[in-house]
Amino acid sequence: MTPYVSVAIYLGVATVASLAFCILPGLLAQPRPNATKEEAYECGVEPTSVVGGRFPVRFYLIAMLFVIFDVEAASFYPWAVQMHALRAFGLGEMVTFVVTLGIGYAFVWKKGGLQWR
Amino acid sequence: MAVGELSNYVTLSAVLFFLGVAGVILRRNPLVMLMGVELMLNASNLALVAFSRAWGSMVGHIFAFLVITVAAAEAAIGLAIIVVVFHRSARVDVDDVTILKG
Amino acid sequence: MITAAALQHAITAADWEALRPIIWIAGGALAVLLFDLCLPRGAHRISSVLLGVTSLVWAGGFLVRNYHTPYAAFGGAFLSDGFSVVFQGAIVLATLLSLLFVYTFEERISSAGAVALLLWAASGAMLMTGAGNLLILFLGLELLSLALYALCGMASRRAAREAALKYLLLSSMASAVMLYGMVLLFGVTGSVNFSAFLAPPPGNPLYLVALGLFYVGVAFKLGLVPFHIWMPDVFEGAPLPVTAFMSVATKAGMLAVLARIIYVATPAGLANKVLLPIWVVAALSMIIGNLAALSQSNLKRLLAYSGIGQIGYIVAAFAGATALGLRYALFYLLAYLFMTLGAFAVIAALSDQADEGARLVSYAGLAHRRPMLAAAMSFFLIGLAGLPPTVGFMGKLLLLSSVLNAGYISLAVLLIVGTAISIYAYAKIIRVMYAPMRHEVVAGAMSATWPLPWIAIAICSVAVLGLGLYPLVPSAVLPLVK
Repeated sequence: MTPYVSVAIYLGVATVASLAFCILPGLLAQPRPNATKEEAYECGVEPTSVVGGRFPVRFYLIAMLFVIFDVEAASFYPWAVQMHALRAFGLGEMVTFVVTLGIGYAFVWKKGGLQWR
Repeated sequence: MAVGELSNYVTLSAVLFFLGVAGVILRRNPLVMLMGVELMLNASNLALVAFSRAWGSMVGHIFAFLVITVAAAEAAIGLAIIVVVFHRSARVDVDDVTILKG
Repeated sequence: MITAAALQHAITAADWEALRPIIWIAGGALAVLLFDLCLPRGAHRISSVLLGVTSLVWAGGFLVRNYHTPYAAFGGAFLSDGFSVVFQGAIVLATLLSLLFVYTFEERISSAGAVALLLWAASGAMLMTGAGNLLILFLGLELLSLALYALCGMASRRAAREAALKYLLLSSMASAVMLYGMVLLFGVTGSVNFSAFLAPPPGNPLYLVALGLFYVGVAFKLGLVPFHIWMPDVFEGAPLPVTAFMSVATKAGMLAVLARIIYVATPAGLANKVLLPIWVVAALSMIIGNLAALSQSNLKRLLAYSGIGQIGYIVAAFAGATALGLRYALFYLLAYLFMTLGAFAVIAALSDQADEGARLVSYAGLAHRRPMLAAAMSFFLIGLAGLPPTVGFMGKLLLLSSVLNAGYISLAVLLIVGTAISIYAYAKIIRVMYAPMRHEVVAGAMSATWPLPWIAIAICSVAVLGLGLYPLVPSAVLPLVK
């Protein structure tokens, strides 16, 4: 328990301090706004476009393919755990699985699905 | 696993499931609706794994694996369709999908 | 827990034998993709269709062999009984006929991709027909659905993409609801096998909740009435071969699941509670589906609504859970297959890639321009309406007798009322076709025809007439109990 006491004290101080930084300026400061102060940043350049713009469609295509192959890879895991017990049968099933995936992969590749134009 | 513990898991999964249903029914953004469906699938996963432990069988785990794979494939196809439908419009909103009126 | 050694011993050649039709079709899809990669441009379309047809015919041969040797493969996970073989046969036939319309896909759509996806969807539906446990059911359902989402969007028309989006969002939600029902069933009974649902622990309310969620999913996928709203939109938007496939193959897969649950996995004590909602949705579908068909001006939409009604007839035959009902329902499924796909074949023969063969305007005075096509379309519509001398009449007569036999007098009355309404809907199309020509319709727009839809029209006409005169009702159809 003891090592956590110091953590708890640290956490308490951090909470109080950060709350104080948030609340005290609102109570103590006298607001005198002007144009410069209203800017998003008081230094640097004004943003010229909306943040979080659109990604190219290509991005989504690659992301989709990634999601599929990523999760299919997870299917290897149960087989890998039981590999010795499953023997040739398991190996055969896995080879079928990989070949099927491979044909799909080749199809996508040949059709230009992986090209970043 | 104790009965009370199981009912906790099942309750949580039911809550998640209805959050997913609400997401699909109430939201108008197809991406969010798709996320609602994924939430429903994951609620099923949680219940599957909990039941599987309660009954002491592996079937639920295998089922959950199947569901995860399906969810990924569904997400991929769903994204593809959403991109195809909306890649010319500035807004992603199912209320703009109006050619077919049922 | 199953040990690996036990697993190895359990799998024999007979297990693979039961699964062979599905393996051939799924393998055929892979071969289609491979050939598409290797062959030069220009040969794609014909090679895809040929390969697809070959693998389907091959699978059909194995199905014929499996019909007389019922077998519970993989420890009861996949049941290859007469019941599932007939359903699988219907799916293979429907896919075969749909493949003949692949020419209506646009040039820029990869036809190899479309054919491969159709074959995979078919193998998913076939897995569903033989599913002996929830895992295989879910696997088949998702294989079917995921392939169909993609297929729906395979056209550059905006309507096709909207259809894909609608189908994706609604259908995946229905899948999730159904899955949750399955999960609760597993939770209540501790098993995923259908046979385990026969003896649920008494007094567990969760069992009925689970069944309710499950049936909502089934009703959605079948397009039965409270859950039918997606059907006309998706049918109208999707490319023609996909619509044709969906109208029969998808329904066949789900009907098999519904029938298996009703016949094999419904506890006797709960039968009344379980069968009542099925009765109600069947009745609603027969009436509302046919009523809505009255006001349609797009043939694909019309066939969607008519399909809702027709599936309602079939489900009505299940509602009594009698052996006769199942046999006649299967016969009517085959009848529906040939009549609907025949109508789609006429649409395909009238369509070029812009899909205008689906608009009612295209049929104005068709009898004067293309008398053969008009005659064929009238024949199929007469069949769908259930008039002699078609298989539709014979099928409906048998359905009616089985419904009466099960004691559902009111359902039989509703069946007749639904049929009467539907006659109006179909007669409207026939009247449009045979109306005298008031003005010259631009003939060039409908000149594009390929020989393949004609083959489909020929097959379907012969079957609709032949089965109407000699009704071959499959006999060995009771599902295997494992």
